Amino acid sequence: MSGIDLEVVRRGAGRPVVLLHGMQNVDPRAPFLDMLEEHAEIIAPSHPGFGRSARPAGFETIYDLLHFYLDFLEELPHDKITLMGLSFGGWLAAELAVTCRHRLAGLVLVDAFGIKVSDRETQDILDVFNTAPAEVQRRSWHDPATWAPDLDARSDEELVIRARNWESLCLYGWNPYMYNPQLKRWLSRITVPTLVVWGASDGIVKPSYGRAYAGLIPGSRFELIERAGHHPEIEQARAFVDTVVKFLNR
Amino acid sequence: MDAWWQCEVPYPFVPQEVLNAADSVRASLPSRYCDPKVAADLFEEVIDEFLLCDDLGLNVLAVEHHAGINSLLGANPLLVGILARQTRQVRILSLGTLISLRKDPVRVAEEYATADVISRGRLEIGFVKSGGTEMASNNANPVNNIERYWEAIDLVKKALSHQDGPFRWEGKHFTHRHVNIWPRPWQKPHPRMWSATGDPETAAEVGRRGMVHVLVLRGPEGTKRAYAAHRKARAEAGLPKVTTDNFAYAALGYVGDTDEEGLRVGSKLLWFLHTSLKSAPQYSRFLPGSAPPEAAPQIYRSAPRPGAGTGVMSAGQNAARLTSISTEQAMAQGILFAGNPDSVYKQVMEFYDKVGGFGHLSLVGRSGFMTHAESEKGIRLFSKEVLPRLREIKPVTVD
Repeated sequence: MSGIDLEVVRRGAGRPVVLLHGMQNVDPRAPFLDMLEEHAEIIAPSHPGFGRSARPAGFETIYDLLHFYLDFLEELPHDKITLMGLSFGGWLAAELAVTCRHRLAGLVLVDAFGIKVSDRETQDILDVFNTAPAEVQRRSWHDPATWAPDLDARSDEELVIRARNWESLCLYGWNPYMYNPQLKRWLSRITVPTLVVWGASDGIVKPSYGRAYAGLIPGSRFELIERAGHHPEIEQARAFVDTVVKFLNR
Repeated sequence: MDAWWQCEVPYPFVPQEVLNAADSVRASLPSRYCDPKVAADLFEEVIDEFLLCDDLGLNVLAVEHHAGINSLLGANPLLVGILARQTRQVRILSLGTLISLRKDPVRVAEEYATADVISRGRLEIGFVKSGGTEMASNNANPVNNIERYWEAIDLVKKALSHQDGPFRWEGKHFTHRHVNIWPRPWQKPHPRMWSATGDPETAAEVGRRGMVHVLVLRGPEGTKRAYAAHRKARAEAGLPKVTTDNFAYAALGYVGDTDEEGLRVGSKLLWFLHTSLKSAPQYSRFLPGSAPPEAAPQIYRSAPRPGAGTGVMSAGQNAARLTSISTEQAMAQGILFAGNPDSVYKQVMEFYDKVGGFGHLSLVGRSGFMTHAESEKGIRLFSKEVLPRLREIKPVTVD
């Protein structure tokens, strides 16, 4: 794709859903994929520099990612797709929806980054590069004891991918940290049906930010997932998929 | 051999229980623990020590670190400016403004050119890559730090040496529509440049550029490997061989009247390793870009699995090794030179032989709770009893 060797997880059949992952690439073993594939065709690329996707030299900005995904959407055989973005991928999904609404059947933002909501001295999005790793995990999950990854138990390959994801995320999102100052102004261009889903216990980026995000997208719907943190698709897979499928079936 | 004296102006007067409770003694320790009156006394003492070096003919070296107990020198150009005016004879090495952290290398070039003119050509310009805590303190993306490092050095070099009116710079990391600095530096085409690095890739580039290559507290194996990478890169690029004058080594060092005094006072310098390196994981092993992703299996797990390792330590791993080092270990590894003048000379020369020679020795001569009087005594003894012997060692070409 655009000269980049890309890793893509493809599952299921039916309505096409392009899934843009967050700070880590999508784990193909994740149960929410099994549940969602009964209702949709899932197309989940790893962003260039994440997972096993290549990142060419000099490809290191949100501008690059945005134009890469514009190519990606143009190449898909489907007339229209639903775009779903998690966390960091939610930022990309919002940017794409502003730019490329004519290719979208709908937009789903899940605990998404991308805009500046609060005043200049209030951090909207926890700085994961400037916070103790244990604290990042504590704030990532409703139930960290169950869900925080045990790095000691991971394989060498998984750890290398994790470090690669971390490095690419830092390159793309360092400054301004995880948002585009201009994006908020243009969210009104998103005219497709939009669902904004948030983990009620998200300590990385709070539900109030999600409500503000939804308020800037005309006609969008906001749904909280209880007993879930920054990753409702993992912590509450069933409730998450039910919410998304209801939106797809609207 | 030439010698340099340095003191990072550490601030050791924070209660130990505060340091124990903090996850990092750099970058994030609240500034309420730094009393400006105490800091003023420290600056006064250390600047006097630099001036004593000037009286004794011992060159001086000014570093930069941000927001930690290890160093109050967050603004290197200010100290360099003071030294440029207040010293009268010795050379002054800035090692250095943390160049990849500064947004405008042209301004850095102006600062350096000004100091070179004020000192009438006694400035040397050193560059260091900066550690993880500095990235947070300076809002600098750690992932492309090395790219910024070299581009900034290129821009500083051109700004210092270009004398034909404004030029334009449209690089990857820096753009500047109009570069034309006044004054131009005293030295032509620009002051000698140094670079501090232990990793073989950067060492190779330092070699190709013909900069003075300085290793800091690396011990014999790491130092020898870095010097070798420097020479190999020059040979592969078809560049002429360099002398030992292109190589430098910085270690903790103290000279007493007796071995007992040298070791007793010199071991106070280990505070720098034991206490001031403590750095939170987000600034060290989990900092993106601080090591290649392939190293993650060794550094992400709480304990590395047996048999893992590439043989080359990252700066963070080197720091972890140094945190628990004993006086004896530090001396055995050439991280601390301490004793009476004869012993210190012998230790330096043993290290010199182990690594294949170097033309510059920098002594971290004051750290931790060492007193002003102790520091001045060490400077006097080193300058009078050791330095003349080191000066006898002339640069030689190294294969």
